[in-house]
Amino acid sequence: MTSWQPTPALVRACLLGIGGAGLAIAIGQEVLAVLSAPFVVLAGAGLAGRPRGRPQVTTRLDHRRLHEGQGTTSRLEVDDLAGVEHVTRVAARAAHVASQPTYGSVGSLVATGPPTIGLSPRRWGRRDVGAERVALTSPWAGWRWGPVHVPATSLLVLPRTAPYDGRAEVPQPDGLVGRHRSRRVGSGTEFEGIRHFATGDRLKRINWPVSLRTGELHVVTTRAEQDAGVWLVVDALRDIGVSGGIDGRPSTLDLTVRAAAALAEHHVRTGDRVGLVVVTANGTRVPLGSGPRHLQRLLGTLARTRTDARSTPPERLELGTESGSVVHVLSPMLSTPLVTATASLQRGGTSVVVVDTLGDALAVPDGAERLGLPALATRMQKVERDDRLRRLAALGAPVVPWRGPGTLDTVLQKLARRAQVPRVRA
Amino acid sequence: MRLLRPGVTPPVVVLRTLLLVLPCAALAVALPQVPDGLVVGGVVMSAAAWAWMPDHAIGIVPLALVAAWWAVHGVVDWRLLVVGVLLAAAHVAATLASYGPATLAVDPDLARLWAARGLLALVPLPVTWLAVRVLDPALAPSWLWLLAGATVVGLLLLTARLTRPQTQ
Repeated sequence: MTSWQPTPALVRACLLGIGGAGLAIAIGQEVLAVLSAPFVVLAGAGLAGRPRGRPQVTTRLDHRRLHEGQGTTSRLEVDDLAGVEHVTRVAARAAHVASQPTYGSVGSLVATGPPTIGLSPRRWGRRDVGAERVALTSPWAGWRWGPVHVPATSLLVLPRTAPYDGRAEVPQPDGLVGRHRSRRVGSGTEFEGIRHFATGDRLKRINWPVSLRTGELHVVTTRAEQDAGVWLVVDALRDIGVSGGIDGRPSTLDLTVRAAAALAEHHVRTGDRVGLVVVTANGTRVPLGSGPRHLQRLLGTLARTRTDARSTPPERLELGTESGSVVHVLSPMLSTPLVTATASLQRGGTSVVVVDTLGDALAVPDGAERLGLPALATRMQKVERDDRLRRLAALGAPVVPWRGPGTLDTVLQKLARRAQVPRVRA
Repeated sequence: MRLLRPGVTPPVVVLRTLLLVLPCAALAVALPQVPDGLVVGGVVMSAAAWAWMPDHAIGIVPLALVAAWWAVHGVVDWRLLVVGVLLAAAHVAATLASYGPATLAVDPDLARLWAARGLLALVPLPVTWLAVRVLDPALAPSWLWLLAGATVVGLLLLTARLTRPQTQ
């Protein structure tokens, strides 16, 4: 247990002041009497300022759940500040967490308020922040409490969702409510056309200008509005590249998780039902759902995504998709079994879009030996991957590199047109 | 090229440089009389160690060495005032630097507070110096020395009691 201990400064002042004065009197040394005089004052003031309390030190974070890049403040709470003049905090460095001050050391006089430490997570995931050592000092730096160790607290960092804003509609929407235009005529607000009045039509649908001009009753027809089921398949089998956080170069898992978060937020805001499957050792699955609470659940699940060396890719992706669902497979597509599983899904009639999240993880760094073994291995891996993606595209599953806003617009529009083409079934 | 360790601010470097310079300067005031090589070496080495670790007990060594050298030579002229100021300034600089690690920036409010305290601590220095210069110890009654000795012993005992570790 910690107690108030004399500081080296107080010990020094006592030895030089009181010890020097005693020696000066004992052996009649005038010089020592003069030189020890200032230290007598410093020692006396330091000794007199001994605090009696037993303070308890805790820290508190303003937020426990943040998006990467956002910031929070770690505040110090001391229950008994009687006799304390100065507070020093030294925070431990946490991976992918920026702090203010940069090196985590901060101190201030109690009169100006306890010092605070700003924290800003730079990468999604679960981060242990706030581990620090705290020291309290009495007036005249005579006594010190601590440094006491304050344990870390866990902070859930959600992936950054912005920016993604697709304008394309989901190819074959299915459901009861939503914002996507249906191919069927129904009671929506989207204009479809004008036709002759028929028995059963509602009177409020009559278009009077056309009816008066033609002399026959005409009604306005609209398209039904429907929602869509969207599945996000996140490949967390491997993380290639070194993550530089939100300010640096992303690893493949960074790109995958951020893209999934952006797509989830976009589709949930559009009113679609969104489900999530994380392909990893103990694969996580979030069923289809909608609304802000469901979005938080999806983001929380994404934030807990971790790669595992034991992970084995699945042979099949069992999503239980209904007709009209669309599946986004977010992956760097370096695992052959996952590519096979995606191809099986596509053959099963589901609209599959592969979002390529490799980024430039396989780029050969500048200055690397072009014919060196690592460069050759990287190139071979790229060639194999490109071949897999070509074959996947030949099956009808479009492959789109993740580029942020509007990445999927063109692809989804093409898929929607393809879905409207009549099919001849054997 | 970086001259400072990452996170170390220039004011901290200035404070630590003072810890090295001030005890040496207090010895250099004796020039042209050159102190013994052992004393100079001891002061420089211990002051350097103190500058590296301001919160370490080694800080007592350079101050005690300088004070002992001046005491042995019995110099009570104006230079003693300068030495006293330099030693007290070194102590205050070390105290200010010992509030945290080297990456802790010097708080301006705290620096101002300690500047005022340093000046306050210097008040008895000229008073004692004048007393030593003007008053004749031979004229003082013997009981005065006994009283002074008893007071110092009392202070030492009080200090020992106050600095004793608290029982849990």
